[in-house]
Amino acid sequence: MMDPTCTSTARKRPRRAAVEVRALALCALMVLTFTAWCVASPPVLAQTARPIDYRIIVHPKNPMVTIEREFAAQSFLKKVTSWNHGGVIRPVDLSPDSPIRRKFSEEVVRRSVSAVRSYWLQVIFSGRGVPPPELQSDDEVVHYVLREPGAIGYVSGHTELRGARTLLVQ
Amino acid sequence: MRSDRVLRRTGRGAGGIARIGLTLALVLAGGASARAEQPPAESAAVEPAPGETAPVEPAPVEPEPTKPAAVEPAPAKPSLEESARARPFRDSPLAVEVHGFVSQGFILSSGNNYLGNSKRGSFEFNEVGINFTKGLHDRLRVGVQFFARDLGAVGNYAPKVDWLYLDYRFADWLGLRAGRLKAPFGLYNEVNDIDSARVPVLLPQSVYPILNRDILLAQTGGELYGYLRMPPAGALEYRLYGGTLFIDPPVAQPPLSLKSFQVPYVFGGRLMWETPLDGLRLGGSVQQLRFDTAYTLPGMPPMPPSEITIGIPFVLWLGSFEYAAHDLLVAAEYGRWKADVETTIGPASKVDTVVNERYYVMAAYRVSPWFYPGVYYSRLVENVDKPMHRDNYQNDLALTFRFDLTTHWLLKLEGHYMNGTLDLAPALNDGTAKNVLKRDWGVFFAKTTAYF
Repeated sequence: MMDPTCTSTARKRPRRAAVEVRALALCALMVLTFTAWCVASPPVLAQTARPIDYRIIVHPKNPMVTIEREFAAQSFLKKVTSWNHGGVIRPVDLSPDSPIRRKFSEEVVRRSVSAVRSYWLQVIFSGRGVPPPELQSDDEVVHYVLREPGAIGYVSGHTELRGARTLLVQ
Repeated sequence: MRSDRVLRRTGRGAGGIARIGLTLALVLAGGASARAEQPPAESAAVEPAPGETAPVEPAPVEPEPTKPAAVEPAPAKPSLEESARARPFRDSPLAVEVHGFVSQGFILSSGNNYLGNSKRGSFEFNEVGINFTKGLHDRLRVGVQFFARDLGAVGNYAPKVDWLYLDYRFADWLGLRAGRLKAPFGLYNEVNDIDSARVPVLLPQSVYPILNRDILLAQTGGELYGYLRMPPAGALEYRLYGGTLFIDPPVAQPPLSLKSFQVPYVFGGRLMWETPLDGLRLGGSVQQLRFDTAYTLPGMPPMPPSEITIGIPFVLWLGSFEYAAHDLLVAAEYGRWKADVETTIGPASKVDTVVNERYYVMAAYRVSPWFYPGVYYSRLVENVDKPMHRDNYQNDLALTFRFDLTTHWLLKLEGHYMNGTLDLAPALNDGTAKNVLKRDWGVFFAKTTAYF
């Protein structure tokens, strides 16, 4: 007579093997996906070959002349919300794919644009706030800064400021 | 009687929060549509809506009209196209922020079922949420998030108010929130169910258990918070909260019947020091809460029924380290959670103390804007005073790949090597006891999330 335990084990083996095959197939899919992405996508650094400069701008009535880098970073992450001279800080960002934003983010916020976006996703979905508005062009940023007395933004070095003031970063 | 009232109140409380949330969402949505139909006068002057007739010369915007115009620099005259694109600014008092996400996951495990019937592969791993946030004033904000999920036998798409708050920020160093608030415990508790806001599919389960979401994630009450700059020593962020939890009562095992269940309090705090080294945060979290449960045990005639009460005060603490600079993330947390189980049966009572140990180390590096791999090791010990049998610990080594396919869509692939059976549920494994389940097992996750 056959041992029923043996029969049960024998039945389980093919099932287990099938699961392992599926797991291997998924792992292979993972590796293939990664390889395909690496091959298909151009290196990120290649997109920023030209030197980029930017200026931090504020409303003409803002009395500040210089700004600490840390204060600027905390303002754009909305950790600090008030100017030292009073009034609410209203930061404004460029769109995530802007090279100016990339440069500003790396140098002032000291995080990549993607890391900053992750930060804002955490804030948004945990109910702790909303990110600054993202505008499409330097001109729109200048327009916003001129309209809002508490505004702070950044634009490329050759943008016409139309009266907006530049802050020196310390 | 008091307990009955508490139970009834608890039921009403949860429903009440849902009703308040729905009302708030309708009000917010109403505000949004009202703005669309009737723009404020100031906006209308400089920002004509698309399709409207543009003024011949939009009036220049004076930040302070009382000052003489001569000393004002000439304000920009935006083109109609510029203005239309830029409107509405999020900081506008009438703007409503709407964000949401939809996730679909897949779980496949070897050896044991985990979170669902995962040995044969399970798609019961979904999340959906939407939130509305509105600034009523420069310093006053309200918001609500609705959330539903299905994770094996948990959730079943029952919609819940995830958070609901009224937030007034007096100054950077002092703000006040009230409502149903996510609990700031550790680095990532508040985003435990937000796939788009983290690298791995599963956060380290030793510290952020996904199945205890209802207990740990949010509390209903108030919170004080603030951010203090201390140059050149960095900055301090503090959050103090207190309130209660509205959670489902435990299921009584026959012959016991549940008489009452309440959470008399939950309170805690988190202090984070942002060090002068960019991206380095150090901090600690503490939380204290208590569960009071009463059961009735039917007596054998002529003995009357007796009452069993179980009171469990919990004390949870966690130390946190995070270095997040440029594209690198390194995080580690260590904590111990202590529970004193006070059982009273008639005149007799006893106290059993259980101390968990929980820690993890995680690293992730964003190789490119679309590819973000990470790895972590996590260990959970249920009772540090018991022998280290397989059912008393759970070690987890995870490798995760996050692919940001577009700015609003991501895919994650993640593999775990598990050692130990503490995190497993016998009910999902044909009732097999944890000390018999397979000690070494694996689990694979695939998850995709769309968000905006």
